[in-house]
Amino acid sequence: MKIVSSWLKDFVDVEWTPQQFSDDLTMVGLEVESYEDLAATYDKFVVGKVVSCEKHPKADRLTVCRVDVGSEELQIVCGAPNVAPGQTVPVGLVGATVPHGQHDPDGKPFVLGKVKLRGVDSSGMICSAKELGLGTDGDGIMVLTTDARPGTPLAIALQRNDVVYEIGITPNRPDCLSHLGVAREVAIQTGGEVRRPAITLKESGEPAAKLASIEIRDADLCPRYCGRVLSDVRVIPSPEWLQRRLELAGVRPINAVVDATNYVMFELGHPLHAFDLDRLDGHAIVVRRAGPDAEFTTLDGRSRQLRPDMLMICDRSRPVAIGGVMGGENSEVSETTTRLLIEGAYFLPSNIRRTARTLGLSTEASYRFERGADPEMAKLAVERTAQLIQELTAATVHPGLIDVYPKGMEASRIRFRPRRANEILGTNIEPSAMRSYLGRLGAHVTANGEEELVVVPPSFRVDISEEIDLIEEVARVHGYNNIETQTRSAIDFSIPTAPARVADEARSHLIGAGWREIMAISLQPETVASLGGPAPIKVLNPVSAEMQALRTSMIPGTLDIVRLNLHRGNKDLRLFEIGKVYRRSSENLASVEDVVEEDRLMMAWAGVAAPVAFDRPSREVDLMDLRGEVDALLRRVCLDKYRFLPYRADNTLTESALSLEINGTYGGWFGEVRRDIAKRFEIEVPIFVGEIALPVLEQAWTRDRTFRPLPRFPHVVRDLAFVVERTMPQGDLEDLIRLTAGPLLESLVLFDAYQGAQTGGGRRSLAYSLAFRSPDHTLTDAEVDAHIRAIVDRARSVCGAELRS
Amino acid sequence: MNDRIEQVRAAARAEAASLTNADALERFRLSFLARKGSVADLFDQLRHVTAADKPAVGKALNELRTEVQGIYDGAKEKVDSSAQRTSIDLTLPGRPLFAGSRHLVSQTLEEFQRVFVSMGFDIVEGPEVESDYYNFEALNFPPDHPARDMQDTFFVSPSVLLRTHTTPVQVRIMEKRKPPVRAIMPGRVYRNEAVSARSLVQFHQVDGVYVDKGVTFAELKGTLVAFAKRYYGSSIKYRFRASYFPFTEPSAEMDITCYLCAGKGCRVCKHSGWLEIVGSGMVHPNILKRVGYDPEEVSGYAFGFGVERTVLLRHGIDDIRLLYENDVRFLEQF
Repeated sequence: MKIVSSWLKDFVDVEWTPQQFSDDLTMVGLEVESYEDLAATYDKFVVGKVVSCEKHPKADRLTVCRVDVGSEELQIVCGAPNVAPGQTVPVGLVGATVPHGQHDPDGKPFVLGKVKLRGVDSSGMICSAKELGLGTDGDGIMVLTTDARPGTPLAIALQRNDVVYEIGITPNRPDCLSHLGVAREVAIQTGGEVRRPAITLKESGEPAAKLASIEIRDADLCPRYCGRVLSDVRVIPSPEWLQRRLELAGVRPINAVVDATNYVMFELGHPLHAFDLDRLDGHAIVVRRAGPDAEFTTLDGRSRQLRPDMLMICDRSRPVAIGGVMGGENSEVSETTTRLLIEGAYFLPSNIRRTARTLGLSTEASYRFERGADPEMAKLAVERTAQLIQELTAATVHPGLIDVYPKGMEASRIRFRPRRANEILGTNIEPSAMRSYLGRLGAHVTANGEEELVVVPPSFRVDISEEIDLIEEVARVHGYNNIETQTRSAIDFSIPTAPARVADEARSHLIGAGWREIMAISLQPETVASLGGPAPIKVLNPVSAEMQALRTSMIPGTLDIVRLNLHRGNKDLRLFEIGKVYRRSSENLASVEDVVEEDRLMMAWAGVAAPVAFDRPSREVDLMDLRGEVDALLRRVCLDKYRFLPYRADNTLTESALSLEINGTYGGWFGEVRRDIAKRFEIEVPIFVGEIALPVLEQAWTRDRTFRPLPRFPHVVRDLAFVVERTMPQGDLEDLIRLTAGPLLESLVLFDAYQGAQTGGGRRSLAYSLAFRSPDHTLTDAEVDAHIRAIVDRARSVCGAELRS
Repeated sequence: MNDRIEQVRAAARAEAASLTNADALERFRLSFLARKGSVADLFDQLRHVTAADKPAVGKALNELRTEVQGIYDGAKEKVDSSAQRTSIDLTLPGRPLFAGSRHLVSQTLEEFQRVFVSMGFDIVEGPEVESDYYNFEALNFPPDHPARDMQDTFFVSPSVLLRTHTTPVQVRIMEKRKPPVRAIMPGRVYRNEAVSARSLVQFHQVDGVYVDKGVTFAELKGTLVAFAKRYYGSSIKYRFRASYFPFTEPSAEMDITCYLCAGKGCRVCKHSGWLEIVGSGMVHPNILKRVGYDPEEVSGYAFGFGVERTVLLRHGIDDIRLLYENDVRFLEQF
């Protein structure tokens, strides 16, 4: 909402600087987002009088002018064809910033210096309207009609010395969507008086009631409708002062009638509408629901589909306006209009909002009505508009206001306990002070016994309906910063504290292990989300197709991030994310229970297996590198309660995958991204990825670990190398060794896997280091030998493994 | 014989000082200690010594051998260790390891949590795909209320949406627990806004709530000031100003002096000298009633921080999209 300083001063005296004004209003909830000091725009611009003009000695098109700027006479070289002695002109002095540079392609501002033009000194510049940002005319200098004396600041001469404030009005304060409303808030702060506009109408001619009729059929949606009838109206342009105020408020002037309705809306906050009375069938207004009327053309020329419960302003035969939203083409004021019916009504906010939303049509009027207008203002607003049109066009105002207000609106009476206010605020404000605060708001306050007040808020404060609303008002007028800060130091042991979470444990492990945490966007294209699982949850009103569906896996989004990094030359990537994936648990999404959100840990690795060092050759990462990292993580989190299972089942994303079983439950998978999938993301290098379900990991997280005594007896280490068929999985042999060795086998390490000439074609060598230890005695060679023999025998018979000499 | 022993001893001692490199050592070894060296030569001649003299001469020879060997060993140790030292190029780089890093938003969430946990707050989470009821209605946004315009919403069905704030978790936790309730609620939220440097369909919030007997607006101020001093430093200045949220009343915004310009006014604080850091207020009585609490018995305060906003301001990042692009060159800076 734009507030113009001179307009505001019509209603309240205010002496603050723009900064003070901004700060003080912001503190009470009217946030001044920015302000523009128009006078500052024309700093160092003054009114000048052209004394003489001579041809430039060296340039035909230039004129050397002597210009009186009050304090002195300047020599200015001017290129405009229309400059002439005796003209009153806008002059930019040396040092002024010209708002619109005419020779700059983008019209950037520039600073005036003292220059020589073709050898002649020029101190300043006579400006065109375009250069001053005051119009489109750039062909010649602007000639002023002002009688201001030379040297007068241009801002004052042009009456452009306003400050325009942009104020963010929260939805609860529709009463502040006007200059009068902001003036009321200013007066609360300054303790000053608010001046409401005085209405002086000169009524004449036939009574209004004989010229027009108003009937409300659906009073639930329109409790009040006021009308004024005017004739002998001339649809002419508004005077400059009014046009300028509207422009500063952000509205384009149209004609005196439309401008008057807009002006009064920005002044008093109440939306108005002017009908061409002669275009109303039967000179009648009937306020009713649309019913069977299906289509309507609004005055912006667009045809609108109506719904039966939309409130329409109609004449005898047809709708003529969408109540509180926009007028119709069929009753619009035109150049030939001579008679008007001015509407000032009050509409039910929720119905206006529904209508505006359904039609996708938000107007200054609907914006105010849906937030809540003041039913008592309807009358004043109509009177004020009639007065303004009479002043502007010398129209006849017919005697009598037609005011249909069948039930009236009941003002709320609110019980207010000062003690309660102090309890909520943590203050010791005297009840008498509270009473005075509420009085300053315009509320009617009466005592109701010792402890209680009864408060009737002013009709424009539609946001005040209960005690807590009044408590907020007391705090606001008292000043939030006058309430002291307090803290409660007693510790309340009954409040639970947050438990440790496996996600934090995993995160700190991975960061320490050299992984970078990323965060991706949960919304992605549907095609991408579908890669991770069927039927992703879709947003019905996406901001773009790029952000339409919720991710079902973290991998596809990660591939996008990998692509971005590869394209930017970041080749070695070890990325992880802790986040959610989303899937539906039933076809339709009728409730939150139809959605499953699962926390996951994602890892992705591309590039080298270890950073290049001076004596370490670089090698590309492979699946076993990733498996080693996952091992380290899982061992930290849940000791040995997990295992990997090779699987090659259908998987849309990976090939050569391992699935992960944690504590007997499926907990995730790891693998290499399928080449065709990687290609879709323009990734040409191998990339290894995996996801772990964090709830499964959380379940298995072993924190209450029991101490195992440290071994007291030495271990015995033996190395065994087997030659096996290449097709035999290492895991089979390893399982067999563990099983055969029994509980004395403390550890088993595969320290070499080799395949080449020495092993013979189709065979490979697997070398293990086995450590044996007994908890209760020192193992003898004979004991260990017996185990080794058993292992060798079974390896041969079960796996066909030959001991390598 | 004894004379010859003393000659060799003197010769060996004379050379000791010159044994500063491997060549000299080797010459010394060959000359004195090798199989054909002068010490071995003397042992050879032991057999010409009379039986009576043998023990004394043998003892002297042994002493000679020990001394010469000692000279050699001592010198060799010095030569070896200095040789070893000069063979390492101490300017070689370390063999690098992969470096890890924590995402900035995740770092900031943790910092918020650490401060609030230290002040006795529990941490609670709630669903991101939320019902219209919890996201709006239970929080005093009736249907057809303009306050809904404050939060542009993604719907996944007519009654289910992507939550626009973490405030619905307040209602969920109050439904489950009896007062006192004191918790923060971090999480991801969504707004249907055009993507720009300032706005990206998703961001994170940290909501907080405390409901108990006699909780006051003054305490809300005290708690947020305590947080701000721990997070931004004890020298900050602050102000509370009136605002509006449907679910709190009175509602307030807290500003702190802009730490980039120290309140003088700059581009970041839009020349106001102030930065808005948290929206807050007293839990609206309607919400307490809706979860089955008696507003005459208990009262509470609530607040909500925007995490990304805090991150951008604190680290001087001018585009929110950088946070979710995850360019490694960005990640490794933090």
